[in-house]
Amino acid sequence: MKRRTFVKNGLLFSGALTMPSLLAGQAKADGPLVAQVQGESPYAITQRAVAEIGGMGKIIARGDVVMVKPNIGWNRTVEQAACTNPEVLRALIELIFIAGAKKVIVMDNTCHTAADCYGHSGIEAMAKKAGAEVRYCDENRLATHDFKGETLGKWPVFRDFLEVDKFINVPILKHHGSSGLTIAMKNLYGILGGNRGKLHRDMGENIADLARGFTSHLVLVDAYRVLLRNGPVGGRLSDVELRKTVIASTHIMHADVAATVLFNKDPRHMEFLQAAYSRKMGEIEIAKIPLKTVSI
Amino acid sequence: MNAQKGKQWQRLRIGSQVVFTWLFFFLLLKSGGIAVGRLPYTGFFFYIDPLLLWVNILSGPFLQAFLLALVPLLLTLVFGRFFCGWICPFGALNQFFTWLGSRRKEKKIGVSHKSLRWKYVLLIVLLVASLFATQWLGWFDPFSLLTRSSSVTLIPGLNFLTQHALEIGADNQKLAGKIVKPFYDFSRDFLLTGKQRTFMQASAIGLIFFALLLLNFYRRRFFCNVLCPLGALYGWLAKYALFHLPLNQNCTRCGLCAGHCTYYGSPFQDYLKSECVLCLNCLKDCPFAAIDVRLQLPRAGRRPALDMGRRRVLAAAGCGMAVAALPQIGVSKKSKTHAFIRPPGAVAEKDFLKKCVRCGACMQACPTNAIQPAVFQAGLDGLWTPVIIPVNGYCEYECHRCTLVCPTHAIDNLTLEQKKQFKIGTAVINRSTCYTYADGYNCAVCEEHCPVPDKAIKFREVEVNNFRGKPKKVQQIYVVPDLCIGCGICENVCPRTDAPAIVVGAEEEQRETPY
Repeated sequence: MKRRTFVKNGLLFSGALTMPSLLAGQAKADGPLVAQVQGESPYAITQRAVAEIGGMGKIIARGDVVMVKPNIGWNRTVEQAACTNPEVLRALIELIFIAGAKKVIVMDNTCHTAADCYGHSGIEAMAKKAGAEVRYCDENRLATHDFKGETLGKWPVFRDFLEVDKFINVPILKHHGSSGLTIAMKNLYGILGGNRGKLHRDMGENIADLARGFTSHLVLVDAYRVLLRNGPVGGRLSDVELRKTVIASTHIMHADVAATVLFNKDPRHMEFLQAAYSRKMGEIEIAKIPLKTVSI
Repeated sequence: MNAQKGKQWQRLRIGSQVVFTWLFFFLLLKSGGIAVGRLPYTGFFFYIDPLLLWVNILSGPFLQAFLLALVPLLLTLVFGRFFCGWICPFGALNQFFTWLGSRRKEKKIGVSHKSLRWKYVLLIVLLVASLFATQWLGWFDPFSLLTRSSSVTLIPGLNFLTQHALEIGADNQKLAGKIVKPFYDFSRDFLLTGKQRTFMQASAIGLIFFALLLLNFYRRRFFCNVLCPLGALYGWLAKYALFHLPLNQNCTRCGLCAGHCTYYGSPFQDYLKSECVLCLNCLKDCPFAAIDVRLQLPRAGRRPALDMGRRRVLAAAGCGMAVAALPQIGVSKKSKTHAFIRPPGAVAEKDFLKKCVRCGACMQACPTNAIQPAVFQAGLDGLWTPVIIPVNGYCEYECHRCTLVCPTHAIDNLTLEQKKQFKIGTAVINRSTCYTYADGYNCAVCEEHCPVPDKAIKFREVEVNNFRGKPKKVQQIYVVPDLCIGCGICENVCPRTDAPAIVVGAEEEQRETPY
């Protein structure tokens, strides 16, 4: 997105007071920073975004076992923008290792056949090249996790996600039929086993409960290529638009709000953000979120 | 030939069997499943099978790869049934089980050869039936049988057992667990990458397969001697073969050569060229080097072969005709409707049943486990033909593996782009169970998964009274039949636990209307 459109959106959703701060690209509101970085290289903007929110060292401790959870849901290529960009992952994995992590695991509970998704998306090859361990979800390794939510209680989760020190959530921003958009909060469906389809009833409520009941230590939204229509599977290149942006934050809801605005949608119209707001997980108005936009 | 040399020949034969069995399973595993992409020669064992050449000749269009099947036929005229003893992987498995069961005391000489006739009867029945449009060769053809049994039972079964055994060990926090853990991690990360496969008929096909293997304890190489139609074909040709095992003057008529003969014969008493699979055990068993190996023209008037008799041949042909009519006069042959969907690229039903050899190669290749052996959905003669069962798996949009591996092109060879356009059926919504209609909930899991770029499942927002009678805005889903290709992922992912609220049927399927 061009800065101009971004500012226009800012004007739409924010009060007059916050306008100058947005133009200056500086944060006034409280809470963890949300960094939105635009640039040509997905690798470079990822590194910059992490640096903007204080660096990986703040999140990862020495010797940590880190789970990186991209969206590998579909048997689609990078260009079709249904799965997280492998270059973004490479940048992240490298940063995690530099911060002193012992091990990085990459996995997702895919919707299509796992081997096809991991291979076709380019994620398996790239993650292995960067030194991460790539795992497939194993139905024999489920454990019940209590999300203690309003609509979502106990649900089977793959143990691999529970047995790590840090969890990094790396969704791709894209259109989604029933929830409107799928970003970081929705990306957590990928840690679940069982009949996940059941959770598509009252989906917004479930997404909010999921994000509240399971901690993402870092959220990095890939919006380099954005699937605008016919998500979350897509497939048609004419539905994909280059936005060349990533958004980083340690606050999952704020990252999603910023990404929603980037998608030119009103966060207050998104069911899952409304549900998260009513659970007091954070602010729903972009103006109240400490956002820093950078263009490199 | 002395016993020492005989032993070397025997070892060579076993080596050849091991190599070809390994090759068979290697190609089978590479044909699909976890491997993305395809080796060009996965159909090798099918293309050297003269029975499938016959199937191809009858059902056309001719596939040149089947010319390979002439090679073993011609070689049989020289060496006899070397194929059964040296190449056939199912023969090798039977030989192995025969060896396993050979340790107990058993009758070794004078076992009746009568039951060896059955395979000739079966061959004639199947060949005649195939002339009358009922093509059942695949049920008994050794490669089809072995491929089917491996895909549907053996491989999924082994996968389950390893996974389960490792899981028990890995969860055990005590010493045993610590030992197994590294193996488990290795296996999970490198071997068990696919989900556990499940099949209709897995137990039936499995029981038949294991029964056939266990029958080797009752009679040596039971399947090869008694049932195998391919063995019968080679046996019929082997009568004229040059290969011969003549006796020299060293023979003391001790009968030791019959000790491990696969058909309970012996070179000195009842040498049957049509039954000898060149296992060469007799060479090793003879203590006096009394058996020679020679290629010679068969002498006139003396062709050592099993005598079928003209009456039996005619009776078998009659049986073939009778049996061929039975499935063709079932009511399903006239019916306009049918309750199954075929894999993409499947030719028109009538041709499909003639071409398909029920080998299950497509079932092994299918990454989502969607292709299943039919029970009686497709009629009696459709038993074990491939159908897609969406509740178990869906047709993956970015995949055309089944169309590549089908050896007889019953599932026609399609490019990925062709396959994406190929309509195998149409989805229908059941409005009395779909959440968006019946309960007034938003759901749309099916819409989400629909892989067609312009989605065939869409929704419209309407205001309804939900089940509590309150007005509510709901996004109700609907299907656009023209866009739907019938892949079945909607039926597969529908979250309802009683029965899917959206199902795919054969309506508007692209292949020509059956019958």
